[in-house]
Amino acid sequence: MKFLTRAFGYCLLPSLAIFLIISFIPASSFASDVGNCLLCHKYPGISRVDEDGKMKLFYVNESIFTNSVHTKVKCEGCHTDITKIPHEPAKKVDCLVECHIVEPSSEKKFSHKDVETFIAKSVHGKIDEKGTEKKYIEDFPECKDCHDNPLYRPLSFFKKVRPGISEASLGRCRVCHKKDEFIYRFYNHITTRLHKSRSPLNIAEVCARCHDDPGIVARHEMSTKAVFSYGETFHGKAAQYLDERVPDCLDCHVNKGESVHQMLSKENPDSSINDKNRGKICTNIDCHPNASPKLATYAVHSEFNLDQSPAQYYFTVFFIILTGGTLLPLMFIILLDIIRRFAPHAMIGRKK
Amino acid sequence: MATTTENIAITPEATEPERDYTYVEDVGNIPRDIYKYVKSDPLGDLPRYSLHIVAQHFLTFLTFLILASTGLTLHFADLWWAPYVMSLFGGPDLARLIHRFAAALMVLASVYHVITLIAGTVQKIMKKQFNISRTQIPILKDIQDITHDIRYFLGKEPYRPKMNKFMYKQKLHYFAIIWGTFVLITAGTTLLYPEMMATIWPNPQFAQDLARLMHADEAIMAITVIVFWHWSNVHLVPGRFPLQWSFITGKITREHQLEEHFMEYLHNLEEIPEEKEYMKKLLKDKGFETK
Repeated sequence: MKFLTRAFGYCLLPSLAIFLIISFIPASSFASDVGNCLLCHKYPGISRVDEDGKMKLFYVNESIFTNSVHTKVKCEGCHTDITKIPHEPAKKVDCLVECHIVEPSSEKKFSHKDVETFIAKSVHGKIDEKGTEKKYIEDFPECKDCHDNPLYRPLSFFKKVRPGISEASLGRCRVCHKKDEFIYRFYNHITTRLHKSRSPLNIAEVCARCHDDPGIVARHEMSTKAVFSYGETFHGKAAQYLDERVPDCLDCHVNKGESVHQMLSKENPDSSINDKNRGKICTNIDCHPNASPKLATYAVHSEFNLDQSPAQYYFTVFFIILTGGTLLPLMFIILLDIIRRFAPHAMIGRKK
Repeated sequence: MATTTENIAITPEATEPERDYTYVEDVGNIPRDIYKYVKSDPLGDLPRYSLHIVAQHFLTFLTFLILASTGLTLHFADLWWAPYVMSLFGGPDLARLIHRFAAALMVLASVYHVITLIAGTVQKIMKKQFNISRTQIPILKDIQDITHDIRYFLGKEPYRPKMNKFMYKQKLHYFAIIWGTFVLITAGTTLLYPEMMATIWPNPQFAQDLARLMHADEAIMAITVIVFWHWSNVHLVPGRFPLQWSFITGKITREHQLEEHFMEYLHNLEEIPEEKEYMKKLLKDKGFETK
C-alpha cells in the first residue's frame, strides 16, 4: 500500500507536467495531422533527389498549412496511396478524389470532380467539340498548373481598417458556437470566398506560365503573349503596384456568374470576349459604366512588335531615331564647345 | 570671317582688317572679346525675360518634373526602383491624380505663354518695335551661326558668331518644346478621354495604340533632352557652372550677353543709357578707345 502511494506520488508530478504541456499545444496542431505525418515532415531539410535527378522537398510548414484552405483535410485525404509509415514514394495527388469532408448542403462526400466537367467544355479542355483530342495535348493545364494550396484571406467590415479577421465579429460567433477552431475556419472560409483570394498581379503571373511561354504561344497560334501585353496597359501597370481593383485576366475572360473553369474561346459566341460581347465587359457597372461599346474595340493585347503591329513598331523606331538624331548632334556641339573652352585661342589652318 | 547683319538698327561695322571690332555710335569700337574684360553680376545685369516668361518657365519646369516622375514610375512599373518612387507619391491612385493635375497646370502654362506671345507681339507691332531677329522665329542667320560656331569650335574662326537674343541652340530647344508639348498633350488627352477622342480620331483603335506609344516615347525623349542638353547648356558647361540665375531673376549677365548674344547687347546699348555709359568708360579704361 505504502509502495503504491509512493509510486503514485512519484508519477503525479510528471503526469501533471505532461498534461500541462499537452494542453498548451495550440489547437491547430491537431487540425489535420491524424496520421502524425509531421513527425518527419516538420523538418525543413526533408528532401530527396528523385530518379530524374530533381531535388524534391517534402517539408510541410505547419503554420502555413493550418492557415490554408485545406487545413481541415488530413494528409491521407489527398495522398490516398499512403497507408503505412514509412511509406513508398507517394504518387501525384489527384485533386478530384472524394475526401472525407461532407458537403453540408447535399451531405455527400466533398469532391472537386465537377471542375473536370466544366474544364472539359472550356477553352482549356483537351477534347474539342467534335470529340477529337486537341493538338499538343501535353500543353493543356492540369489543376496544379494554376492552383496551389491557397492561404485564407479573411475580410472584415467591422469598423476596422486592417485586413484580416476581426475579433469583434468573432465575438458574435462565440455566443452560439463554442469551438474556436471551428469559428476561425468557418469565418476564414466564408470571408475568403467573398472576394478574390489573389491579387491581379498574382493571377496574371499564373496565366503567364503558359500564355507568355513563346513555345506554347507559337504552337497554339495565339495572337499575343497575353500577360506581357496586359503589362503594357494601364490595368497591367496598376496590377504591378498590387492594385486590387484593376481587372485581371479572369475579370474579362470569364462570363459574370460563371467559374473560371468555364472560360471560352474568343470564337465562341457565348464567350465574354467574343466581338459581340466585349462591349459589355468594359461597361460593367463597376468598371466603365458610361463607356460606349467602342471602348472595347481598343486593342488590349497590343505588343507593338514587328510581326503583330508593324505600323506601331515603326512608329516607335521613328521616335528612337528622333531622340537619338536630335540628342547626339546636340551633345556633339556641347562637346566641341567644352573642348574649345580649354583652348580658346588655338587656331587651325591660319594664324590669328 | 564675321557674319554681317546690315538690316538692323545698329550696323556693326568692321573697321579693322581682322573685323573683330564693332563700332557703336556714342560708345566707340567694341572688340569682339570684350566679354573677357567686363564686370558681371552672377545674378544678371541685363534684362532678358519678362516676369511672365519667368513665371511660365517655373510652371513648366515644376510640372515637367512632377509629370516625369509620376509618369515614368507608372510606365516602368516593373523596374526595381518603381515601387519606392511610387510610394513617395502615395501610391498609383494618388500619382495618377497628381499627374493629371500637373498636366492641367502645364496646359495652362502653355496657354498663358501663347497669350503672352500674341499680346507681346501685337504690342510691339503697334509701337513699331517688332524685330524678327529678337524673337524665337528661325531665320537664315541661325544656320550661318551654327556653321560659324562649329568652325570656331574647330579652331577655324577666331571668335564666336555675333548672335541674336535667341541663338540657334535656344531656337532648336524652343521648337523641340513646342513639338513635345503638342505631342504629349494630344496623346495624353487621347489616353485620358478615350471615349471623346474616339469620336475625333479617324481610326480610334489605331490612334489609341499610337497615343500609348507616343506619350511614353515622347516623354522619354523630352526627359533625355532636358537632362543632357538643356541642363548642360544652361548650368553645367564651363562658363555657366554651377548655376545660371536667369530663370529666377529674368536677367542675363553682361559677360554672357556679349559672348553669346552680341547683337542683343547692341540693342541693350541703345535702350539702356547706363549700359552705354558703362561700356564707354570700360573701353576708355581698358584702352580700346584708341584703336
